[in-house]
Amino acid sequence: MDFALNDEQELLVQNIRELMASENWEAYFAECDERHEYPERWVKAICELGFDLIMLPAEHGGLDLGLVTLTAVYEELGRWGAPTYVLYQLPCFDTILREGTPEQIEKILAYVGTGKQIWNSACTEPGAGSDVGSLQTTYTRRDGKVYLNGHKTFITSSAKVPYLVVMTRDASQPDVFTEWLVDMSLPGIKVEPLNKLGLRMDSCSEVYLDNVELDESDLFGTEGNGFNRGINDFDFERFLVAACDYGWALSAFEEAARYANIRVQFGKPIGRFQLNQFKFANMAVKVNAMKNMLYETAWSYDQGEMTSAQAAMLKFYCPKAAFEVVDDAIQILGGVAVAGEHRLQRLWRDLRVERISGGTDEMMLLTLAKGVLRQYKD
Amino acid sequence: MRIVACVKACPDTQDITAAPDRTLSFERAQFKVGTYDLNAIEAARALADETGGEAIGLSVGGSALASSKLRKDVLSRGLDAFNVICDDAYSELDSYQSAALLQDALGQLGGYDLVLCGAGSSDVYAQQVGNQLGALLGVPTLNNVHKVSVGSGKAVVERLLESVVQVIEVPLPAVLSLTSASNIPRIPSMKDILAAGKKPVNQLSASAAVPQARVEVKSVLAPEQQSRQLDVYDGDVGAAVAKLASYLKAL
Repeated sequence: MDFALNDEQELLVQNIRELMASENWEAYFAECDERHEYPERWVKAICELGFDLIMLPAEHGGLDLGLVTLTAVYEELGRWGAPTYVLYQLPCFDTILREGTPEQIEKILAYVGTGKQIWNSACTEPGAGSDVGSLQTTYTRRDGKVYLNGHKTFITSSAKVPYLVVMTRDASQPDVFTEWLVDMSLPGIKVEPLNKLGLRMDSCSEVYLDNVELDESDLFGTEGNGFNRGINDFDFERFLVAACDYGWALSAFEEAARYANIRVQFGKPIGRFQLNQFKFANMAVKVNAMKNMLYETAWSYDQGEMTSAQAAMLKFYCPKAAFEVVDDAIQILGGVAVAGEHRLQRLWRDLRVERISGGTDEMMLLTLAKGVLRQYKD
Repeated sequence: MRIVACVKACPDTQDITAAPDRTLSFERAQFKVGTYDLNAIEAARALADETGGEAIGLSVGGSALASSKLRKDVLSRGLDAFNVICDDAYSELDSYQSAALLQDALGQLGGYDLVLCGAGSSDVYAQQVGNQLGALLGVPTLNNVHKVSVGSGKAVVERLLESVVQVIEVPLPAVLSLTSASNIPRIPSMKDILAAGKKPVNQLSASAAVPQARVEVKSVLAPEQQSRQLDVYDGDVGAAVAKLASYLKAL
């Protein structure tokens, strides 16, 4: 298996590096993180280079370059400590193109290149987390219109997106689950942003739906399709979570290694002390394992062969391994990392959230185990 | 209008390392388009767009110019075509030899209106090639050009001198070397990169023998490392500033 990048992919990565070196983005990220603000100026800058065209099919004006290419871009962005987690929706046009009506596709693709957040989906409720089937938000048909009622919680991006795909159950047939593309400017929608430990540049909110009036044309996908739509998309989201995590781990690892080579204590660089060397050896194993797992899975995706088990393995392993790498890097940098403000603090907080957001470690283990055992059934 | 941007393939300066004996190692350094040449490419594109003309690249040098990645990189930055004289024998050209080969190549292009160079190469930075090329061609030649606009058969050039801006009108064709602050080179988009692979690269050959080198390089060494002096002035701000000022005056 050859993961060598071709000329175009290498130039793409080189240009991302040029962009990231063109100004002190870290100061901007720190400011956005502190204010819980979406870093729109940065997202627009990478979209101007074509970030959101990477996986968009050519018939929609995209470049169709595949997931290996996107992974290489995530790797470089992560290396600069960029908040790649705010980009989840941008490579995911696949969902909209697969499930959306022509009108819905047009609405969403109008945002390509703008750097703005576009959409996200809303499943979780106060009583329905990993057990999504117990959700209580309903849709009711009345006089040719559709009315949504319910309370969603921990909904990523919901404070900023113009559209939210909301999972509901039919009020008259509770075992029928259907999604709706909801225009967030409609009356009856109240959004209350929450503070959180990490991933602060993407909002996370309570969303209250009080008799939100929709048209039948707002139906997203197929009525009664339940959670089938989400399964493929969850796998892709899990991949992207892992891609973010690996990039940040690489960033922390490289910074710690450079520091350990120049920081002198007791007359020698601290990288010469065996206790620190032990950390670097373990960090290197984790960074390398993440990288290989990620590129292999990206390659599988590009062949149309990525499995849920592969995605779950990544989503289980990478947040945890990356958190450990960043944690070790903080230990190496010592006071430099923990006093005042340091990029590693942000990455450390973000990574702790990654073990929960987009599917918990525990759910990943269940999915992974099922997938692995299924492979050897009969 | 045909505008030619001259570029040089240089080792990536970030990856050049200095050994304890001050010799330089280029082992890890990949060749890429010279940093200052990006200003020439950017200006060529902008002027070509303004005049409805074409912006073409020209480079002479060693086998680094054979790299498909480097060629695509150059073309992705706004050029319509790239012309190269590339030979292993040309990897260590001095300024005069470079200028002579560029003159030779320009003669094979079938005419040009304006030749643009960067402030200097990002490896040697002798800042000589533009001026020598202009002299060889016998056309108006200016360096330290901060701004350039073109009209029918002439260019209006601004040069930043110490306290004034010098404005000069020069007839075309001319050779101009731009300052690094004359524009902000674009970062190519993914579409630009993909389009670059479809643009023409014309391989030229020298039509005459390359002249003898005029410069003999005895050695290339990194500057000697100096230990920090660790003179710290603290305490009362006024007194510390006075000490710092007298230290700087005495330098």
